[in-house]
Amino acid sequence: MNKHRADLLFLAPLFLFVLLFVLVPVIGALINSLFRDVSFLPVKFTGLMNYIRLSGDSAFRKAVVFTLLFSAVSVFLEMAAGILTASVINEEFRMRGLIRGIVLIPWAIPNVIGARMWQFIYQFEYGVHNFFMKALFGMPENWLGSPAGAFSALVAADVWRTTPFVAIIILAGMQNLPTSIYDQAKVDGAGMIARFFRITLPALKPILLIALIFRTIDALRIFDVILVMTGGGPGGTTSSISLLGYKAFLQGDFGYGSAISVAIFLLAFVIAMVYLKAGRIKEEI
Amino acid sequence: MRLIKHICLAIALILTIVSCARQEKKLTIVLGGAPSEVKYLESLIGDFSRKSGTEVSVIRQPTDSDQRRQGLLIPLKAGEADPDVFLMDVVWVGQFAASGWLLPLQEYMKEDGFDSSIFFSSVFDRADTFRGAVVALPVYVDTGIMFYRKDILDKYGLDLPANWLGLIDIARKVQEKERSSNGAFYGYVWQGAQYEGLVCNFIEISSAYGGCIINENGKVSLKSPENIAALEQMIALISDNGISPPNTFTEMKEEESRIFFQNGNALFERNWPYAWRLHESDGSPVKGKTGIMPLPVGPSGHRASALGGWHVGISRSSDLPEEAWELVKFLVSREVQRSLCLELGWNPGRKDLYEDPDIAARIPHIAVLKTAFESSVARPSAPFYTHISEIVQKYINAALSRNMTAQEALSAAQKEVERIMTLYNE
Repeated sequence: MNKHRADLLFLAPLFLFVLLFVLVPVIGALINSLFRDVSFLPVKFTGLMNYIRLSGDSAFRKAVVFTLLFSAVSVFLEMAAGILTASVINEEFRMRGLIRGIVLIPWAIPNVIGARMWQFIYQFEYGVHNFFMKALFGMPENWLGSPAGAFSALVAADVWRTTPFVAIIILAGMQNLPTSIYDQAKVDGAGMIARFFRITLPALKPILLIALIFRTIDALRIFDVILVMTGGGPGGTTSSISLLGYKAFLQGDFGYGSAISVAIFLLAFVIAMVYLKAGRIKEEI
Repeated sequence: MRLIKHICLAIALILTIVSCARQEKKLTIVLGGAPSEVKYLESLIGDFSRKSGTEVSVIRQPTDSDQRRQGLLIPLKAGEADPDVFLMDVVWVGQFAASGWLLPLQEYMKEDGFDSSIFFSSVFDRADTFRGAVVALPVYVDTGIMFYRKDILDKYGLDLPANWLGLIDIARKVQEKERSSNGAFYGYVWQGAQYEGLVCNFIEISSAYGGCIINENGKVSLKSPENIAALEQMIALISDNGISPPNTFTEMKEEESRIFFQNGNALFERNWPYAWRLHESDGSPVKGKTGIMPLPVGPSGHRASALGGWHVGISRSSDLPEEAWELVKFLVSREVQRSLCLELGWNPGRKDLYEDPDIAARIPHIAVLKTAFESSVARPSAPFYTHISEIVQKYINAALSRNMTAQEALSAAQKEVERIMTLYNE
């Protein structure tokens, strides 16, 4: 009994932290979203009005499609690149420590600065992208000016920035795998590729799931890279849900902004649940 | 038990620190802009402190105007006692005033016998007065003007264009000829990226064509034939063999177009007056070669320049309103306005300085500016103006990037702005 109480006491700060910084804001946003809380109008309870407005907002629909597409493409590429990177830096070779350190650099750079660097790459007159375009085709190209170009540029920046994160998580998982299994497999005549697909991948599943959930939730609230690189342009085609929420707050519409935040929360929640469910079902088979 | 005692002690300590910080009343002003501007403003605030004996703490903000608005929105919405005084972009004044965040100034003005007729009435009546109350005073007024290369026009023996079509015609001819020596040369640079500046560029051409965003009856008239013609003209500027660079609608903001022109790669540049000092600075390739004219007349026979600028206001939650009013008076005083003009090139909100001989000597185009201010067009002044602006920016930019035709873009924008108006109009 006494020990139990001590446990609770030690857990209390963490619980308090979660309560203050996770639960209170989420519930606060939920409550806010039920009001017409516009800075220049009297506050009024309007029930689900903000959500009804949300469902009829074409900008919101477009932002949801963009955010889902962006998350799917970039998370897929990040997972693939992350597994590949982790496999390489898991091998024994000279200066492995140095290479591991270098791989982490993009993740260590603050998001906004990284995004600024990518923006400079595509800069029309002086960017390195157009340096090569001019050298190869003789014509500069306004890459961020087309919806497809802007989309791929954003995906590239995000993949570049977060692949190290995925790689490090997977590397940690790889190092926990017992080497004896590999030795046995080698004795049984399994080649490198067979070992990867038959042993490494299945054994890494829980770790991959964690990386997947982390990255998907992160990608769904993509904001900083877009704000810096395209500002949602051209013509609003790269506007993410978070960017819309930010703009609603900036315009003084706190109720609508909160409704958008709740929408992101729900979307991330549902997708995380689907992942967890899908992960568990496969385990049972 | 001991742990609980420690926690209690820690909480007590934190509370003491917080309450100490709370007790101190201090006049606080929020300033933003380019580093050189903030530095100069800080030195002026230092003068104020020395003269008045009121200590002033300065909160610095970046240049980006959205970030500056965000930095003010949070304390104002929370009803914080600080900041007391702050600068506002002309387009926020409506939102801030309607939100009840601004202290009405007319009582203070009456008490001090402060005369508001020293300001441009076109600015003071539309930007600083809200539902009959004076809520701000102009610190710095701004308007769109046209820069041109005197030397190139002379080289080809060309006169200044009389209207928009004339400008496009000259720009195209000169661009063709200059391309033989400079492959990166364009006839005309302006601000087309998806941001507030695009709305300014749009309403200038739209007004010159006889259009507007919201008409005198308060109805949205975005999809008028005049606006469609104006937008089609803007699209044509960037099209193949156009006279504006292809990155106009992705990258061109004030500084990008300023640098483009300053590098000697453009004949005309639409920008705000601040660019003049930089074009004329030492080491600038266009030093001594730049001329200034008002924006050209359009098919409607009118010329129009967007009204911009920064205004100073006092927070309604200020704990030191008397001291704050003294600081506001200081900032719009003749002396301070004069040094801001001479040091930073900020165009005074006071009319009386436009006849000042020192200023006329330093800024030879000040007369052009005075006419421009008197014929300036304001952006719609609704509390939710920025929401309207978001929509307009998005669709105009979509049309410029050719994802939509001018007609499609303006019809869609019209529908969305109407929706916003019904939503927010009580």
